[in-house]
Amino acid sequence: MHSSHPLELFPGRTVKLMLFKCVRNSAELRRSAMGGQITAALINPRMLVDPFQVIVAANKAVHLQTIGKMKTRSLNSEIIFNLSPTNNISEAFKRFGISDADDSVLVVLVATGDESQTLADIKEKVDGEQVPMEELPTLSDVTQIRKLYKVTPQEEKMGGLLDSVVCKMATKDVM
Amino acid sequence: MELEKNMVVSEFLSKGSVLKQGAEARVYRDVFLGRSTIIKERFPKKYRHPLLDEKLTHRRTVQEVRSIQRCRRAGIHTPVVYFVDYTSHCIFLEDIVDSVTVRDHIAATRLRSLPCPTLEPLEPLAARVGRVLARMHDEDVVHGDLTTSNMLLRRSGDGEAELSLVLIDFGLSYISALPEDKGVDLYVLEKAFLSTHPNTEPLFQKLLESYAASSKKSSAVIKKLDEVRLRGRKRSMVG
Repeated sequence: MHSSHPLELFPGRTVKLMLFKCVRNSAELRRSAMGGQITAALINPRMLVDPFQVIVAANKAVHLQTIGKMKTRSLNSEIIFNLSPTNNISEAFKRFGISDADDSVLVVLVATGDESQTLADIKEKVDGEQVPMEELPTLSDVTQIRKLYKVTPQEEKMGGLLDSVVCKMATKDVM
Repeated sequence: MELEKNMVVSEFLSKGSVLKQGAEARVYRDVFLGRSTIIKERFPKKYRHPLLDEKLTHRRTVQEVRSIQRCRRAGIHTPVVYFVDYTSHCIFLEDIVDSVTVRDHIAATRLRSLPCPTLEPLEPLAARVGRVLARMHDEDVVHGDLTTSNMLLRRSGDGEAELSLVLIDFGLSYISALPEDKGVDLYVLEKAFLSTHPNTEPLFQKLLESYAASSKKSSAVIKKLDEVRLRGRKRSMVG
Protein backbone atom coordinates (compact mmCIF):
# COMPACT_ATOMS: atom_id res chain seq x y z
CA MET A 1 0.00 0.00 0.00
CA HIS A 2 2.89 2.31 0.70
CA SER A 3 6.65 2.14 0.40
CA SER A 4 8.65 2.13 3.61
CA HIS A 5 12.14 3.43 4.23
CA PRO A 6 13.72 3.18 7.67
CA LEU A 7 15.93 6.02 8.89
CA GLU A 8 19.07 4.33 10.18
CA LEU A 9 20.08 7.32 12.27
CA PHE A 10 16.71 7.38 14.02
CA PRO A 11 15.78 3.86 15.02
CA GLY A 12 12.05 3.44 15.06
CA ARG A 13 11.37 6.22 12.55
CA THR A 14 10.38 5.19 9.06
CA VAL A 15 9.51 7.23 6.03
CA LYS A 16 6.29 6.09 4.39
CA LEU A 17 5.40 7.17 0.86
CA MET A 18 2.18 6.96 -1.12
CA LEU A 19 1.89 8.13 -4.72
CA PHE A 20 -1.38 9.18 -6.32
CA LYS A 21 -2.29 10.03 -9.94
CA CYS A 22 -5.44 11.52 -11.45
CA VAL A 23 -6.05 13.52 -8.31
CA ARG A 24 -9.14 15.70 -8.54
CA ASN A 25 -9.17 17.39 -5.13
CA SER A 26 -5.70 18.94 -4.80
CA ALA A 27 -7.09 22.23 -3.56
CA GLU A 28 -8.96 20.51 -0.74
CA LEU A 29 -5.95 18.36 0.14
CA ARG A 30 -3.69 21.38 0.29
CA ARG A 31 -6.10 23.15 2.63
CA SER A 32 -6.32 20.05 4.83
CA ALA A 33 -2.55 19.78 5.04
CA MET A 34 -2.18 23.45 5.95
CA GLY A 35 -5.02 23.17 8.43
CA GLY A 36 -3.47 20.19 10.15
CA GLN A 37 -6.14 17.64 9.28
CA ILE A 38 -3.62 15.74 7.19
CA THR A 39 -0.44 15.10 9.19
CA ALA A 40 1.81 14.35 6.25
CA ALA A 41 3.82 16.29 3.71
CA LEU A 42 2.08 16.63 0.35
CA ILE A 43 4.63 16.96 -2.40
CA ASN A 44 4.39 17.71 -6.09
CA PRO A 45 5.87 14.69 -7.89
CA ARG A 46 6.89 16.75 -10.93
CA MET A 47 9.92 18.03 -9.04
CA LEU A 48 11.04 14.59 -7.93
CA VAL A 49 13.55 12.39 -9.69
CA ASP A 50 13.37 9.43 -7.35
CA PRO A 51 12.06 8.53 -3.87
CA PHE A 52 15.64 8.72 -2.59
CA GLN A 53 15.44 12.49 -3.01
CA VAL A 54 12.52 12.57 -0.57
CA ILE A 55 14.18 10.19 1.92
CA VAL A 56 17.25 12.43 2.03
CA ALA A 57 15.02 15.45 2.69
CA ALA A 58 13.13 13.57 5.40
CA ASN A 59 16.33 12.39 7.08
CA LYS A 60 17.63 15.94 7.32
CA ALA A 61 14.26 17.15 8.59
CA VAL A 62 14.18 14.58 11.39
CA HIS A 63 17.78 15.42 12.29
CA LEU A 64 17.03 19.13 12.56
CA GLN A 65 13.88 18.42 14.53
CA THR A 66 15.88 16.28 16.96
CA ILE A 67 18.38 19.04 17.62
CA GLY A 68 15.72 21.74 17.62
CA LYS A 69 17.09 23.60 14.62
CA MET A 70 14.35 23.33 12.01
CA LYS A 71 13.95 26.34 9.77
CA THR A 72 10.19 25.86 9.37
CA ARG A 73 7.45 25.22 11.88
CA SER A 74 6.74 21.53 11.47
CA LEU A 75 8.48 18.35 10.44
CA ASN A 76 6.32 18.05 7.33
CA SER A 77 7.01 21.58 6.15
CA GLU A 78 10.69 20.99 6.89
CA ILE A 79 10.71 17.99 4.54
CA ILE A 80 9.32 20.18 1.77
CA PHE A 81 11.85 22.93 2.56
CA ASN A 82 14.78 20.50 2.45
CA LEU A 83 13.88 19.48 -1.09
CA SER A 84 14.52 23.01 -2.29
CA PRO A 85 17.97 24.06 -3.51
CA THR A 86 17.48 27.51 -1.99
CA ASN A 87 16.94 28.85 1.49
CA ASN A 88 13.75 30.70 0.63
CA ILE A 89 10.94 28.98 2.49
CA SER A 90 7.95 30.33 0.58
CA GLU A 91 9.60 29.51 -2.73
CA ALA A 92 10.15 25.96 -1.51
CA PHE A 93 6.48 25.55 -0.64
CA LYS A 94 5.46 27.02 -3.99
CA ARG A 95 7.70 24.73 -6.01
CA PHE A 96 7.58 21.50 -4.04
CA GLY A 97 4.28 21.61 -2.22
CA ILE A 98 1.14 20.80 -4.14
CA SER A 99 -0.86 23.49 -5.84
CA ASP A 100 -4.56 23.53 -6.60
CA ALA A 101 -3.94 22.62 -10.23
CA ASP A 102 -1.82 19.52 -9.58
CA ASP A 103 -3.23 16.17 -10.59
CA SER A 104 -0.65 14.02 -8.84
CA VAL A 105 0.48 13.97 -5.24
CA LEU A 106 3.17 12.25 -3.21
CA VAL A 107 2.21 11.74 0.43
CA VAL A 108 5.17 11.59 2.82
CA LEU A 109 4.82 10.55 6.44
CA VAL A 110 7.55 10.01 9.00
CA ALA A 111 6.17 7.23 11.14
CA THR A 112 7.20 6.18 14.61
CA GLY A 113 5.24 2.98 14.70
CA ASP A 114 2.57 1.41 12.64
CA GLU A 115 0.64 4.42 11.40
CA SER A 116 -1.32 2.22 9.00
CA GLN A 117 -4.51 3.81 10.26
CA THR A 118 -3.21 7.31 9.56
CA LEU A 119 -2.13 6.24 6.10
CA ALA A 120 -5.50 4.66 5.42
CA ASP A 121 -7.23 7.85 6.62
CA ILE A 122 -5.12 9.97 4.31
CA LYS A 123 -5.74 7.64 1.39
CA GLU A 124 -9.48 8.02 1.98
CA LYS A 125 -9.17 11.76 1.64
CA VAL A 126 -7.39 11.61 -1.73
CA ASP A 127 -9.75 11.60 -4.69
CA GLY A 128 -7.33 9.89 -7.01
CA GLU A 129 -5.71 6.63 -7.98
CA GLN A 130 -2.90 5.22 -5.90
CA VAL A 131 -0.03 3.90 -8.01
CA PRO A 132 3.23 2.10 -7.14
CA MET A 133 6.28 4.25 -6.34
CA GLU A 134 7.99 2.83 -9.43
CA GLU A 135 5.78 5.15 -11.47
CA LEU A 136 7.35 8.26 -9.92
CA PRO A 137 9.88 8.82 -12.73
CA THR A 138 7.02 8.95 -15.24
CA LEU A 139 5.67 12.00 -13.41
CA SER A 140 8.98 13.87 -13.23
CA ASP A 141 9.42 17.07 -15.19
CA VAL A 142 13.11 16.66 -15.90
CA THR A 143 13.43 20.00 -17.68
CA GLN A 144 11.95 21.89 -14.74
CA ILE A 145 14.07 19.95 -12.28
CA ARG A 146 17.26 20.82 -14.17
CA LYS A 147 16.23 24.46 -14.30
CA LEU A 148 15.20 24.74 -10.65
CA TYR A 149 18.21 22.95 -9.26
CA LYS A 150 20.52 24.67 -11.81
CA VAL A 151 22.08 21.37 -12.82
CA THR A 152 24.82 22.03 -15.36
CA PRO A 153 25.10 19.65 -18.34
CA GLN A 154 28.57 18.57 -17.24
CA GLU A 155 27.30 17.91 -13.73
CA GLU A 156 24.47 15.74 -15.00
CA LYS A 157 26.72 13.89 -17.42
CA MET A 158 29.15 13.13 -14.59
CA GLY A 159 26.83 11.90 -11.91
CA GLY A 160 23.30 11.75 -13.21
CA LEU A 161 20.37 13.97 -12.32
CA LEU A 162 19.42 12.32 -9.02
CA ASP A 163 22.90 12.54 -7.49
CA SER A 164 23.28 16.15 -8.65
CA VAL A 165 19.98 17.07 -7.01
CA VAL A 166 20.68 15.19 -3.78
CA CYS A 167 24.13 16.71 -3.42
CA LYS A 168 22.76 20.22 -3.86
CA MET A 169 20.08 19.54 -1.26
CA ALA A 170 22.65 18.24 1.18
CA THR A 171 25.12 21.08 0.70
CA LYS A 172 22.84 24.10 0.31
CA ASP A 173 23.51 25.38 3.84
CA VAL A 174 27.13 26.16 3.02
CA MET A 175 27.09 27.13 -0.63
CA MET B 1 19.46 18.58 23.07
CA GLU B 2 22.79 18.67 21.26
CA LEU B 3 24.31 16.01 23.43
CA GLU B 4 21.35 13.75 22.74
CA LYS B 5 21.93 14.05 19.03
CA ASN B 6 25.62 13.28 19.28
CA MET B 7 24.81 10.06 21.06
CA VAL B 8 22.36 9.04 18.35
CA VAL B 9 24.99 9.45 15.64
CA SER B 10 27.74 7.80 17.66
CA GLU B 11 25.44 4.86 18.36
CA PHE B 12 24.85 4.52 14.64
CA LEU B 13 28.57 4.79 13.94
CA SER B 14 29.46 2.18 16.53
CA LYS B 15 27.51 -0.36 14.50
CA GLY B 16 29.37 0.44 11.30
CA SER B 17 32.88 -0.70 10.51
CA VAL B 18 35.78 1.70 10.97
CA LEU B 19 37.66 1.88 7.70
CA LYS B 20 40.52 3.95 8.95
CA GLN B 21 41.51 6.58 11.42
CA GLY B 22 43.68 9.55 10.69
CA ALA B 23 44.86 12.38 12.86
CA GLU B 24 41.91 14.45 11.77
CA ALA B 25 39.01 12.11 11.25
CA ARG B 26 37.66 8.59 11.54
CA VAL B 27 36.11 6.99 8.50
CA TYR B 28 33.29 4.45 8.71
CA ARG B 29 31.40 2.45 6.14
CA ASP B 30 27.74 1.56 6.58
CA VAL B 31 24.42 1.41 4.82
CA PHE B 32 22.58 4.73 5.03
CA LEU B 33 19.19 5.41 3.43
CA GLY B 34 19.62 2.24 1.45
CA ARG B 35 23.02 3.12 -0.01
CA SER B 36 26.52 2.06 0.87
CA THR B 37 27.92 5.16 2.54
CA ILE B 38 31.20 6.46 3.87
CA ILE B 39 30.85 8.49 7.04
CA LYS B 40 33.67 10.84 7.86
CA GLU B 41 33.67 11.89 11.49
CA ARG B 42 35.87 14.75 12.60
CA PHE B 43 36.09 13.84 16.26
CA PRO B 44 36.87 16.40 18.99
CA LYS B 45 40.54 16.99 19.64
CA LYS B 46 41.03 17.07 23.36
CA TYR B 47 44.46 18.67 23.05
CA ARG B 48 42.94 21.80 21.59
CA HIS B 49 41.12 24.56 23.40
CA PRO B 50 37.45 23.51 23.08
CA LEU B 51 36.22 26.75 21.53
CA LEU B 52 39.03 26.74 18.99
CA ASP B 53 38.49 23.05 18.27
CA GLU B 54 34.81 23.62 17.52
CA LYS B 55 35.54 26.54 15.19
CA LEU B 56 38.34 24.73 13.35
CA THR B 57 36.45 21.47 13.00
CA HIS B 58 33.34 23.22 11.78
CA ARG B 59 35.34 25.27 9.27
CA ARG B 60 37.11 22.19 7.91
CA THR B 61 33.82 20.36 7.52
CA VAL B 62 32.27 23.27 5.66
CA GLN B 63 35.31 23.65 3.40
CA GLU B 64 35.24 19.98 2.53
CA VAL B 65 31.56 20.04 1.61
CA ARG B 66 31.89 23.26 -0.37
CA SER B 67 34.90 21.99 -2.32
CA ILE B 68 33.08 18.79 -3.26
CA GLN B 69 30.02 20.64 -4.55
CA ARG B 70 32.17 23.14 -6.45
CA CYS B 71 33.98 20.32 -8.20
CA ARG B 72 30.74 18.59 -9.07
CA ARG B 73 29.24 21.63 -10.72
CA ALA B 74 32.31 21.77 -12.94
CA GLY B 75 31.72 18.18 -13.94
CA ILE B 76 34.52 16.67 -11.84
CA HIS B 77 33.62 13.25 -10.43
CA THR B 78 33.49 13.22 -6.65
CA PRO B 79 31.47 11.23 -4.11
CA VAL B 80 27.94 12.54 -3.60
CA VAL B 81 27.24 14.21 -0.26
CA TYR B 82 24.07 12.69 1.20
CA PHE B 83 23.92 14.41 4.59
CA VAL B 84 26.03 16.59 6.86
CA ASP B 85 25.62 16.63 10.63
CA TYR B 86 27.18 19.89 11.78
CA THR B 87 26.75 19.00 15.45
CA SER B 88 28.97 15.92 15.37
CA HIS B 89 30.88 17.07 12.25
CA CYS B 90 30.01 13.97 10.27
CA ILE B 91 29.83 13.93 6.51
CA PHE B 92 27.80 11.12 4.96
CA LEU B 93 29.12 10.49 1.45
CA GLU B 94 28.72 8.08 -1.40
CA ASP B 95 30.83 4.96 -1.09
CA ILE B 96 32.51 4.56 -4.47
CA VAL B 97 32.30 0.85 -5.13
CA ASP B 98 33.86 -1.14 -7.90
CA SER B 99 36.85 1.11 -8.30
CA VAL B 100 40.61 1.01 -8.08
CA THR B 101 42.95 3.73 -6.89
CA VAL B 102 45.13 5.33 -9.53
CA ARG B 103 48.01 4.26 -7.30
CA ASP B 104 47.13 0.59 -7.59
CA HIS B 105 46.35 0.92 -11.27
CA ILE B 106 49.75 2.44 -12.02
CA ALA B 107 51.52 -0.22 -9.95
CA ALA B 108 49.59 -3.05 -11.61
CA THR B 109 50.11 -1.66 -15.10
CA ARG B 110 53.82 -1.33 -14.53
CA LEU B 111 54.01 -4.86 -13.24
CA ARG B 112 52.20 -6.16 -16.28
CA SER B 113 54.52 -4.31 -18.64
CA LEU B 114 57.47 -6.36 -17.36
CA PRO B 115 59.88 -7.74 -18.60
CA CYS B 116 60.08 -4.67 -20.84
CA PRO B 117 59.07 -1.84 -18.55
CA THR B 118 57.40 1.06 -20.31
CA LEU B 119 55.40 4.02 -19.08
CA GLU B 120 53.69 4.56 -22.40
CA PRO B 121 50.40 2.82 -21.59
CA LEU B 122 50.02 5.16 -18.61
CA GLU B 123 50.44 8.34 -20.61
CA PRO B 124 46.73 8.78 -21.43
CA LEU B 125 45.90 8.46 -17.74
CA ALA B 126 48.53 11.03 -16.80
CA ALA B 127 47.10 13.39 -19.38
CA ARG B 128 43.64 12.82 -17.98
CA VAL B 129 44.69 13.56 -14.44
CA GLY B 130 46.32 16.74 -15.68
CA ARG B 131 43.07 17.79 -17.37
CA VAL B 132 40.93 17.07 -14.32
CA LEU B 133 43.25 18.95 -11.99
CA ALA B 134 43.27 21.87 -14.41
CA ARG B 135 39.48 22.00 -14.28
CA MET B 136 39.55 21.79 -10.50
CA HIS B 137 42.03 24.62 -10.15
CA ASP B 138 40.10 26.69 -12.68
CA GLU B 139 37.16 26.37 -10.28
CA ASP B 140 39.51 27.71 -7.60
CA VAL B 141 39.36 24.50 -5.60
CA VAL B 142 42.62 23.48 -3.98
CA HIS B 143 42.51 19.80 -3.01
CA GLY B 144 45.20 19.96 -0.35
CA ASP B 145 46.07 16.27 -0.33
CA LEU B 146 46.67 15.21 -3.89
CA THR B 147 48.03 11.70 -4.06
CA THR B 148 47.37 8.79 -6.39
CA SER B 149 45.54 7.08 -3.53
CA ASN B 150 43.02 9.92 -3.53
CA MET B 151 42.10 9.35 -7.16
CA LEU B 152 39.87 6.47 -8.15
CA LEU B 153 39.15 4.86 -11.49
CA ARG B 154 35.57 3.66 -11.67
CA ARG B 155 33.62 1.88 -14.34
CA SER B 156 30.93 4.17 -15.77
CA GLY B 157 27.51 2.89 -14.83
CA ASP B 158 26.16 2.63 -18.35
CA GLY B 159 28.74 0.06 -19.40
CA GLU B 160 30.92 2.60 -21.17
CA ALA B 161 34.39 1.32 -21.85
CA GLU B 162 36.01 4.42 -20.42
CA LEU B 163 36.65 4.56 -16.71
CA SER B 164 35.83 7.74 -14.90
CA LEU B 165 38.40 9.48 -12.72
CA VAL B 166 36.97 10.26 -9.28
CA LEU B 167 38.66 12.61 -6.80
CA ILE B 168 38.17 11.74 -3.14
CA ASP B 169 39.18 12.94 0.32
CA PHE B 170 38.62 16.67 0.23
CA GLY B 171 39.39 16.87 3.92
CA LEU B 172 42.14 19.42 3.48
CA SER B 173 40.65 21.29 0.59
CA TYR B 174 39.64 24.93 0.40
CA ILE B 175 38.64 27.59 -2.09
CA SER B 176 41.49 29.76 -3.36
CA ALA B 177 42.30 31.67 -6.52
CA LEU B 178 45.97 32.12 -5.63
CA PRO B 179 48.46 30.54 -8.04
CA GLU B 180 50.71 29.92 -5.03
CA ASP B 181 48.10 27.65 -3.43
CA LYS B 182 47.52 25.77 -6.66
CA GLY B 183 51.26 25.49 -7.22
CA VAL B 184 51.66 23.96 -3.79
CA ASP B 185 48.77 21.59 -4.60
CA LEU B 186 50.70 20.32 -7.62
CA TYR B 187 53.92 20.19 -5.61
CA VAL B 188 52.26 17.94 -3.03
CA LEU B 189 51.14 15.67 -5.85
CA GLU B 190 54.58 15.66 -7.42
CA LYS B 191 56.23 14.63 -4.18
CA ALA B 192 53.62 11.95 -3.50
CA PHE B 193 53.64 10.72 -7.09
CA LEU B 194 57.40 10.39 -7.45
CA SER B 195 57.86 8.72 -4.08
CA THR B 196 55.00 6.25 -4.57
CA HIS B 197 55.91 5.47 -8.16
CA PRO B 198 59.69 5.54 -8.52
CA ASN B 199 61.23 6.55 -11.84
CA THR B 200 58.07 8.02 -13.33
CA GLU B 201 59.38 11.55 -13.92
CA PRO B 202 58.36 11.48 -17.61
CA LEU B 203 54.85 10.46 -16.63
CA PHE B 204 54.47 13.33 -14.21
CA GLN B 205 55.86 15.63 -16.85
CA LYS B 206 53.08 14.49 -19.16
CA LEU B 207 50.60 15.26 -16.39
CA LEU B 208 51.93 18.80 -16.04
CA GLU B 209 51.94 19.35 -19.79
CA SER B 210 48.32 18.27 -19.96
CA TYR B 211 47.53 20.53 -16.99
CA ALA B 212 49.22 23.49 -18.65
CA ALA B 213 47.36 22.90 -21.89
CA SER B 214 43.96 22.56 -20.22
CA SER B 215 43.98 25.29 -17.62
CA LYS B 216 43.33 28.89 -18.53
CA LYS B 217 45.38 30.16 -15.62
CA SER B 218 48.15 27.58 -15.75
CA SER B 219 51.24 29.67 -16.53
CA ALA B 220 51.08 31.51 -13.22
CA VAL B 221 50.55 28.25 -11.39
CA ILE B 222 53.44 26.43 -13.08
CA LYS B 223 55.65 29.41 -12.37
CA LYS B 224 54.76 29.15 -8.69
CA LEU B 225 55.33 25.39 -8.79
CA ASP B 226 58.89 26.02 -10.00
CA GLU B 227 59.40 28.52 -7.20
CA VAL B 228 58.01 26.13 -4.59
CA ARG B 229 60.26 23.35 -5.84
CA LEU B 230 63.26 25.56 -5.19
CA ARG B 231 61.96 26.27 -1.72
CA GLY B 232 61.31 22.68 -0.68
CA ARG B 233 63.02 20.56 1.93
CA LYS B 234 66.74 19.84 1.58
CA ARG B 235 67.14 22.70 -0.82
CA SER B 236 70.09 25.00 -0.94
CA MET B 237 69.26 28.34 0.62
CA VAL B 238 71.49 30.08 -1.89
CA GLY B 239 69.68 32.93 -3.67
